[in-house]
Amino acid sequence: MNKVAIVGAGITECRGRWVEATYWELFQQATRRTLEDAKMTADEVDSVVYGIYNDIFEHQAIPESTLTGLIGMANKPGVRITTGGATGLYAMRAAIQEVAAGMADCVLCIGGEKATDCFDPQSRTATPMVIDTIAKSWDPFFEYPLGATASDSYMQLCMGYDDEYPGDIGDSLVRAKIIEMLCRQGNKNPFGQRRDEKVTAEQVLASRWIIAPFLRLLEACMYTEGAAGVLFASEKKAREISERTGVPPIWVKGVGAANESYSPGRGGNYKPLSRIVSDHLAAERAYAMAGVRPSDIQLVELHDAFVAQLMITMGEMGFVPLGRTRNLVDEGVMADIRELRDDQPPPRGKVLINPSGGLIFGGHFVGGSNMFSMWSARREMVRRQIPLALIHGTGAINAVYGGAIVIELGDDPGKSPTGDGGAQ
Amino acid sequence: MSSERESILSNVWNLPREVSEVAGKDPGTWLQFNTHMVTFYQQTYGELSRFFLALKSCRLIGSHCKKCQQVMVPAATWHCPNCNFAEMEEIELPHRGVLAARAPITIFPSASFIDEAPFCRGYVDVATDAPIASFLPSRLMTTTGLPRPGIFVKGTELKLVFEDQRMGRIRDIFWVPVKELPSHLVDKKPLFASDLNFSSPPMPAIARDPALEGALRKAIEAMRSMAEQIPRSPRAQKDLAGRTHTISVRTAGGELTLIVAGSGLRIEDEPAKSPDFAMATRDPAVFTRWVGDGSLTDAAVEGTLWLPHRAAFAVLPILDRLPRSIRRDVRDRK
Ligand SMILES: [Zn+2]
Repeated sequence: MNKVAIVGAGITECRGRWVEATYWELFQQATRRTLEDAKMTADEVDSVVYGIYNDIFEHQAIPESTLTGLIGMANKPGVRITTGGATGLYAMRAAIQEVAAGMADCVLCIGGEKATDCFDPQSRTATPMVIDTIAKSWDPFFEYPLGATASDSYMQLCMGYDDEYPGDIGDSLVRAKIIEMLCRQGNKNPFGQRRDEKVTAEQVLASRWIIAPFLRLLEACMYTEGAAGVLFASEKKAREISERTGVPPIWVKGVGAANESYSPGRGGNYKPLSRIVSDHLAAERAYAMAGVRPSDIQLVELHDAFVAQLMITMGEMGFVPLGRTRNLVDEGVMADIRELRDDQPPPRGKVLINPSGGLIFGGHFVGGSNMFSMWSARREMVRRQIPLALIHGTGAINAVYGGAIVIELGDDPGKSPTGDGGAQ
Repeated sequence: MSSERESILSNVWNLPREVSEVAGKDPGTWLQFNTHMVTFYQQTYGELSRFFLALKSCRLIGSHCKKCQQVMVPAATWHCPNCNFAEMEEIELPHRGVLAARAPITIFPSASFIDEAPFCRGYVDVATDAPIASFLPSRLMTTTGLPRPGIFVKGTELKLVFEDQRMGRIRDIFWVPVKELPSHLVDKKPLFASDLNFSSPPMPAIARDPALEGALRKAIEAMRSMAEQIPRSPRAQKDLAGRTHTISVRTAGGELTLIVAGSGLRIEDEPAKSPDFAMATRDPAVFTRWVGDGSLTDAAVEGTLWLPHRAAFAVLPILDRLPRSIRRDVRDRK
């Protein structure tokens, strides 16, 4: 497998609704910024991978087809990935594979969503129809007709986890404290959807229930419209671009993914309700490929659909023990952004989790959310000089899709071209 | 629980054909057009037909693999994915099951299920004797009022119930806790929805506790003082406009009645003779907290406030708006 680097990234502003732009414009904006970031033109890109989750949101069955010419990718190969919430992660995996296989020197991975044009005529609001559109991710025979929603599906797992590991995610105060920390981080993201909000733990505890006892209104991710792009390049191309931009290449060290069975059950290959096995397998595979352990990693951008799930995911990925994920707060595993300068890595033993504000405060334009996470991880690595980072995505009913990517900060351009880190 | 011959989409699922202006974050004039993405299907049941035909005849079937002994319920395939797609055989399943994990209660449903909230959905372990088994995605119902935490917990013994009118769809069935059944129905097979009473659940027993009488007086005082401000709050009047409700409330500290009428609220410190419905809670402070910008809905969601049915639940968001509406109007007056 050839070496692969990230050489550029760009995002749009995250908004609850972009009436000023269709998804055409959002994807073009993100493409433009990504290419600008890499000081490249579209001509230099060999192929494109699109992350778009749900056709119903875009209201077109092959939504990427209209984008091809508009984002400067005419007459190049292009493929669209759609894997629920993990769409962005899997799109990046596909882009990495093209470069790793030697089929391309430079691949644009671009994802986004136009999510809140959906409208419910009954309530005269968007939300119930947005929920319905996501609910179409369930099968039409057994699950959708029962009224499945994304929130209750993730909460089903939290309840299964809590049955198995009581006294962990059930502490509202622990979850509220994590929210407070995520909010502070989101305030520092210039593109974040809720960058001007101040949410305290007290406000979280006073906010209304969505699903008791693990999900209050202020513990859930947002619906966002926006787009994000990441450029992946071969080693030679990466060094060339790095010379141009003056930004070190970020090396892809490990990629892991796993999809659990759709059906929950007991034994065999069924999905256990007390675990997010997809997260566990994805992370293990990414670590094995990268030759690292979770204790080597001090920066994580994970897919926090809900805070209780963030806690379980951090447990599944090995940063805290399952059953004691509250150590994130109790033992201060989660780094406090207030104690860090903007150019400072977290102290040993602490992990910076979602400095972007995550999907709860930063943004969650589904098809590109994981690219948004990658954009943030790269930004934080470079400015804080953090050697390793982990990017995570989860999706589909009952969180059965999981993916993880380990990346490594390369040397500043101009230094010896052989030294690309070696942090493991 | 009836199966009226209804259209898939009602007329409320529609919009006028128009293009309208919409405000954004950036200055400028922006447009949106009303449109739709509705597809109708005559969706094939194919290999699943056997499962749904069985439901129509009040049988629950799974597919069973003789090699690995796994049971799949519903019978999602007839070839075992674990055993090189070995042929699976039909197995008749009991009308009893166990809840595999605590089940979430949906309060904010999707547009298609907006009239059904709150409802409970969970996974039922039916083939409990099989070493490997899938769980059946299921509707979970209680005869004791609205679903609330504590009813559908891991390990709850469940009984399968069939709708009286069945079409061949997953909504032909649901499950109720065995312990809610009178003894003569526990082994009835098939058990029908009409065998059970969902419409008039018994109010839970709440023992009088003199220690909470003071809390009740305090709650009534707080509610009355809120009610007195409604005539000066256009927002609160708008919340209540056109509504009439007489709601009995039983607490361990005593009883009271909430009367919504004429865009106002009245609190009586005795039970109503013929209320629209009754609520119950041990702790009268639930209502004091409501006035202090808390939420009756949250109390119902947590299970501290008992409600008989959905119609009762639908009133709570209206009541929850009152403290905030009044506060905003007071602020505007200043
Ligand atoms: Zn088998």
